[in-house]
Amino acid sequence: MAADSRIERARARARSAKALIGASTLLVFGVAFVGAKVHAPGHAKGKTSPLGAPKSFERAVKRSIAQGGVIAPAVQPPPVASATS
Amino acid sequence: MTVHRLEAMGCEIVAAGIDPETVARVFEEWEDEFSLFRPGSELCRVNRSPAEVLAVSPLFARALDVALDVAEDTNGLVDPTLCGRWREVRLVGRLLSRPAGLALDLNGVVKSLAVDAAAELIEGEGFVSAGGDIAVRGPVDVALPGGGAIRVVAGGLATSGTASRGRHLVDPRTGEPSDSLWEQVTASGSSCLAADVAAKAAFLLGPDGPAWLDEREIPGRFVALAGDVVESRLWTGALACI
Repeated sequence: MAADSRIERARARARSAKALIGASTLLVFGVAFVGAKVHAPGHAKGKTSPLGAPKSFERAVKRSIAQGGVIAPAVQPPPVASATS
Repeated sequence: MTVHRLEAMGCEIVAAGIDPETVARVFEEWEDEFSLFRPGSELCRVNRSPAEVLAVSPLFARALDVALDVAEDTNGLVDPTLCGRWREVRLVGRLLSRPAGLALDLNGVVKSLAVDAAAELIEGEGFVSAGGDIAVRGPVDVALPGGGAIRVVAGGLATSGTASRGRHLVDPRTGEPSDSLWEQVTASGSSCLAADVAAKAAFLLGPDGPAWLDEREIPGRFVALAGDVVESRLWTGALACI
């Protein structure tokens, strides 16, 4: 009985140890998995957007098409005339 | 400042502060690419092609891209298809896609783009003018239609209207030559292209032209068929502030 009891106790300790190791492994894997997902560079975490010039730049370029120039009163005889052609 | 005169794109080119041969070369390059009167020009070849998708040259792609931006900005008043179908033209890089048979006419932007391209080559001060559409580097005094003159300090100045060639500007909203109440509209822009586009759009808008320029803070001057002169708010302000 004593020997059985000792064997049973040893088996119980072994089962506990296996369960503990399994739980630890799952925990370490889970932490590593979540850490990689959150922190590892190169992993898309949000919606992707196309590469290219920022919209503000495109707007600035387009604005220049409809932008006034700088004029002032003439002070000399003009060397050139603006007219329809 | 020595002023040079030459002929290109069917009009008189006036330039100063730049070698006239350089100016001639720039205009020849643009005319060779976009002339509707040269069967070998890329524009004619594109218009003749039955293909719906074509690869075009970098210069052609650049000009068409500008023309489509201009059509967007003017809500189709200056339209490279001349018939209100500019939204059917797609350009991705150098790949052009448009419905078969839809012809392009880039004359609405090509002359002023050539003026701006030539003016880019001025080292120091000077100007380039094609048929009266001007880009300056440094202040230049310019005579105005109907009399008077103005100093263009920066950017460009352009005039659109019916004075020299009659009713040649097509209104894309109707497909017919414009019956604008203006004879000539002169506008000042950040470049010759900007000035030319503003002048054309304001001319085609008729009575709404001055308000359209004011909304965009573009100085403009309108000569009516009856001879009256109307100035936009910024034009009057620019002349009064000095």
